[in-house]
Amino acid sequence: MTAATTDVVDPGQDTRKAGRYVYITAVVLLCAWVLVPLYFLLINTLSSPEAVNSYPKSFIPEFDLGSLTFFAGFEGILTALKNSILVAALTMVMSILIGAPAGYALSRFEFRGKELFRLLILLTRAFPLPLLALPLAVMFIRTGIDDTVFGLALVHTTLAIPFAVLITFSLFSGIPIELEEAAWTLGCNRVTAFQKVILPLVLPGITASAIFAFVISWNEVFAAAVLTIENRTLTAFLLQNLDTSPLHLKFAGGFILVVPALIFIFAVRKYLFAMWGIANR
Amino acid sequence: MNIRHMTAGAVSGLALLVSAVSAQAEVLFWSTQAKPVEEAQAMREQVLAGAGDVDYQPNDGGPWITRLNAELSAGSGSIGVLGALHGDFSAMSPDDLVSLDDLGLGAASDTFNELAKLGTDDTKYIPWMQASYIMAANKKALEHLPEGADINALSYDQLIAWGANVKEATGEAKFGFPAGPKGLKHRFFQGYLYPSYTNGVVRTFASDKAVTAWEKMRELWAVTNPGSTNFSFLQEQLLNEDVWIAFDHTSRLAAAFNERPDDFVAFPAPAGPEGRGFMPVIAGVGIPRTAPDMEASKALVAHMLKPETQIATLRATNFFPVVDVELPGDLPPSVQAAGNAVAIMSASADANPGLLPAGLGDKGGDFNRVFVDTFERIILAGQPIEAVLEDQKKTLVRIMEETGAPCWAPDAPSEGACPVE
Repeated sequence: MTAATTDVVDPGQDTRKAGRYVYITAVVLLCAWVLVPLYFLLINTLSSPEAVNSYPKSFIPEFDLGSLTFFAGFEGILTALKNSILVAALTMVMSILIGAPAGYALSRFEFRGKELFRLLILLTRAFPLPLLALPLAVMFIRTGIDDTVFGLALVHTTLAIPFAVLITFSLFSGIPIELEEAAWTLGCNRVTAFQKVILPLVLPGITASAIFAFVISWNEVFAAAVLTIENRTLTAFLLQNLDTSPLHLKFAGGFILVVPALIFIFAVRKYLFAMWGIANR
Repeated sequence: MNIRHMTAGAVSGLALLVSAVSAQAEVLFWSTQAKPVEEAQAMREQVLAGAGDVDYQPNDGGPWITRLNAELSAGSGSIGVLGALHGDFSAMSPDDLVSLDDLGLGAASDTFNELAKLGTDDTKYIPWMQASYIMAANKKALEHLPEGADINALSYDQLIAWGANVKEATGEAKFGFPAGPKGLKHRFFQGYLYPSYTNGVVRTFASDKAVTAWEKMRELWAVTNPGSTNFSFLQEQLLNEDVWIAFDHTSRLAAAFNERPDDFVAFPAPAGPEGRGFMPVIAGVGIPRTAPDMEASKALVAHMLKPETQIATLRATNFFPVVDVELPGDLPPSVQAAGNAVAIMSASADANPGLLPAGLGDKGGDFNRVFVDTFERIILAGQPIEAVLEDQKKTLVRIMEETGAPCWAPDAPSEGACPVE
């Protein structure tokens, strides 16, 4: 009897095992999807020009700092980095300040033209920037906000707002109004209820849309190249010149463009994980 | 009274100081040239070092023209000096460029100076530097040269045979051609293939000789690395040896010669039945009418034409001087190699030099498009040559009639718009 049962393989255990393999493979693949390109970028950044052009590639960097040293001596790169951070930070703050209330209003209040409003928000992304850049630049020159960090941040905010509104809209919609009503019955007014009950719940989501705004601003080239001259952002300053540069400098330049954004995302990652916690709840 | 005088004096002194500061402000050099980071760095550190306070900003064509147009329509701006190719300037309205006749500067070549007038009576930009397109090869390919071929006097047939020999020996097509998205393939057709086979560009666009030219192009494509549709800077493929024989702009081959000078040779473009067609590239410096400080801008333009600046520019960008200068002996390998190849090419007995397309205004891009489309349809899509040429001819005729551009060399001169025969 016992011998017979041990002979029979438990099918449940088998599927569980197979499922585990699939799960692990998926995790490894997803990680590789993100990490392998970054790793190649790193290796090529730390390689001499000869190694970059040779094939097959080595998997261990040779720690040749030639390409990075070149950029260290590149005039204006630090100012450009500073401008990029300033513009991205301003974009983040402005798009949340404008986008989050709009998202709250969309999810909590009924008003005429609400659907149209939601559509119109998306329309800001419907016009390609190269088309908008010319009239914008003319207007900026005339109003005197041309070539300023603030002016560029305004444009980037416009680009980021649709995402900020739609992300916060779905966040607020995901929180039952009953929670707010309960807070009102317990002595909160509209503002304190929002502050004490809703805000802690949506904070991670707001961080996520802030990160989105940051990345949009960080990656934007065309408007930055047309609207700023003395106060160029890093992307406008470097990216246009990289596509025609030798391969090893392309890698090093790409690395320099990627690293600050990576550091930023690492710094705020715990808020992101917290948001996924909400999603699972 | 006294105090009032003193304040007035102080205020005017302050005003003077402020105006002095603003007069010393940087001149913005807005350029489409010397864009690669290393060249931009060399422009800032070497070429412009003695030119006072200059902010050198190289840009892609899109942002370059958008910003310029914005400043022109706003009526005020910060761009002091424009650096661009002849084609970029000719796409602008000549009225937006300040006349530079009073500087009394110009290139050694009268042809260039005439081009710089953009069809008006005034000098609208000053030629700044020039380049051309040449061939380069890995020395490993030399042993496969067809018998009796002289590398400095190749014909298109010999080039095709050479490519075939290399393909046979290595099993790979190793001729490289800049057919990538940013590649300068249209110049190969306009300045090299067409003049060499048809002794014209516009007049002969759909002639029988042009059909032969495209047949040869097909043969050449058979021994061309198929990855060429992704190549825009052949120096990269020469260095990683995907390509052994290449055609490209001198400054787009420079890195290969500078990084491994002993491994590569430069030589003239091949010749066809109508001679050895080749074409110059001219970049110029101009001043937009909205320049904030005209005097400083003119001083910078004058600086760019000084012999020592021209040599520094050559070192920085691999573009050659347009004025007569004594070249020093210690130039980088790329400059020596390219200089020799261009010299042999222009001195060859069968030289058939062409000119840049002129008088097309903002239709220059459409004109290039005709050649790129023809290439894509005939070579990449394999459509019948005669039919494609007849079809594209219509577009070409329309462009020539709309712009009224007269013929340029090697086409025979025309009265009025250059006819497509």
